[in-house]
Amino acid sequence: MMELFITVFSAAFFVTIIRTTTPLLLATMGGLVADLSGALNVALEGMMLVGCLTAVLVSVYAPWYVAVVAGMGGGALLGLLMAFFAYRMKADIILVGFAINILAAGGTVFALSIATGGDKGTSINLPSKAVPAVDLSFLSGIPGIGPTLTSFLSGHSILSWIAALVVFAVWYFLYRTPWGLWLRGVGEYPAAPEAAGIPVNLIRTLSLVVSGALAGLGGAQLAMFNYVGFTRDMTAGRGFIALGAVLLGARHPVGALLAALLFGAFEALAVVMPGLFADAPAELIRSIPFVVTIVALVLFSIRAQRALALRGAK
Amino acid sequence: MSNVPAIDRSSRWKAIRSEAGRAVGALAIALGVAFVVVLLTSKAPFEALNVLLTQIPQKPRTIGLWLDDAAKLTITGLAFSLVFQARQFSMGVQGQVYVGAIAAAYVALSPLGATWAGIPLGMTAAMLAGAVWGFIPGIAKAKLGANEIVSSLMLNYIAIELCNYLVRAQLPKPAVGVLTTNDFPDSAVLPQLIKLDGLNITRLDYGFVFALVAVLIVWFALYRTNWGLKLRLVGHNARFAEYAGIKATFIMVSAMTASGALGGLLGSMFVQGQGWGKLTVLFEGNLAFEGILVAIVARSRPLAVPFVALFYGYLRQGAQLMNIRTDVPAEVIGVVTAIIILLVSSSFSVNFVKRLFRRGPAPATSAVPAGSAAK
Repeated sequence: MMELFITVFSAAFFVTIIRTTTPLLLATMGGLVADLSGALNVALEGMMLVGCLTAVLVSVYAPWYVAVVAGMGGGALLGLLMAFFAYRMKADIILVGFAINILAAGGTVFALSIATGGDKGTSINLPSKAVPAVDLSFLSGIPGIGPTLTSFLSGHSILSWIAALVVFAVWYFLYRTPWGLWLRGVGEYPAAPEAAGIPVNLIRTLSLVVSGALAGLGGAQLAMFNYVGFTRDMTAGRGFIALGAVLLGARHPVGALLAALLFGAFEALAVVMPGLFADAPAELIRSIPFVVTIVALVLFSIRAQRALALRGAK
Repeated sequence: MSNVPAIDRSSRWKAIRSEAGRAVGALAIALGVAFVVVLLTSKAPFEALNVLLTQIPQKPRTIGLWLDDAAKLTITGLAFSLVFQARQFSMGVQGQVYVGAIAAAYVALSPLGATWAGIPLGMTAAMLAGAVWGFIPGIAKAKLGANEIVSSLMLNYIAIELCNYLVRAQLPKPAVGVLTTNDFPDSAVLPQLIKLDGLNITRLDYGFVFALVAVLIVWFALYRTNWGLKLRLVGHNARFAEYAGIKATFIMVSAMTASGALGGLLGSMFVQGQGWGKLTVLFEGNLAFEGILVAIVARSRPLAVPFVALFYGYLRQGAQLMNIRTDVPAEVIGVVTAIIILLVSSSFSVNFVKRLFRRGPAPATSAVPAGSAAK
């Protein structure tokens, strides 16, 4: 037990948390943008998965940043597809989302098999690249806290820093720009912005595209930093956990950040625990993030209901 | 609707015709897109298409695989239909299949499994376990407002990991390191439906009969009982139902629980069926989620579910054969599935296609229809 505590409070564990949180956080931000525009984006999982594969395949032939952008593009394209069917063709957005997940699950394996010449499991034979880590070891020069700063801040993926920036950007966009107000208005009560002459469908479509791009970026981090290479179904429910984080985060960027960190921390725990408790079943450790998601969702819902009752809404 | 029988009958036929037309139109478009994908990637695209569409009726063995798959698709389609009719998006059938299978395996591997009680008790245990797994997201939603999509999906992953763990470390198995349990005793495995020496329809077992019975039961429950009427009313307009004095939350929870029982039943049909006869890891192969397609194309109507399942099972098994015999991976069928769901659940109609084709050749006057079809 003692070792667990020592591990949990070590700098290495902090770095692991950041690593496991980054894909989740990016997908959560994507889910948040979609959610505030009035669409529960259940396709985050599929968008991430396509982001993973696109990034890996492109990185074989192009530099890593092109691959990352391609991953975003893959997710964004799915967002566009989702918007087309949900808003133009008037399909139920949740069903559209699941259709996209099915498309992504089958399509990625299909594309992987074509790209590797028959391997349906992993892209291990493809020389794919990784996202570089940011080296901040010059911070060690600061007297006193320097080495500590280095061990905590150095070695994260560039995308982790970008993710932090994304949280701020999403917050700024939503609460400090007129377009953010439009987006929130569209999600809250579409008739009002419609009457005010705001292009409701365009905003909804764009927010799904952005949502997909962010999920794709999360996928790129997953397949180019957390793991280098693609394995089938490698997102393993992260998109759905991100969806839970959106709900848990009270539909606010900061709340969503905290929720993503919480789930990321438990995923990191599931990463380090097999090394500490050799006899603990790995399968049950792997299901920790899922259990935590359900428990957190239930607890949060209790709180939300109590708040509603206090306001006398129900 | 149902109190004007004369109008009702003709309008019903019209509705069935138009729905079937939409489904066939969607299927045609989806197959067209898939064929283009195959054309671009395969060395022998026509052979692949041939295997996909014509090979199943050639052998009793593949017919058996097809009908067995259709029976399982029917059950998962029914499970999704039940929750969709109540407008709940509980996606937990996969998890229910796993816990159902685990429960059935515990019964089958216990001393009871070797007696006549192996099958009925295994199925009951599976249905109970599935019902519990369906009840959890239901009650969390009804009492606390926790989103049922997220919680049911999380329960899927938990059930899969639980099954992995139990098979690896807890249940008796033939050899160390094998990820299956011991074979169930014969008394705990559903017998073959058709047993002829020359005709080897191996896979087809009594699960097929259970699927048909389940169709009738779900239809009866939805369209001939009080509960079903309330459930459909809640699905159409929960607030109105609430005003009419229906406890919408109770209906939600019971719909999810009943759907969970069906999922559990499917689990026992898997592991107690001829195909397995034991519990293995990841036995279900993402079949459970195919119920979304079946339920959507069937418009959540229980009586339409088996027909859709037959068609779709044919496509699935055809894709498996294509996977084995040609260079086209079976996963291409995911594209077909997604397009069908997208088209059928949207405002797509056959008229839409007609319009599309009428508009299509107009700008390019020289385009020959046959040429554009082959492209």
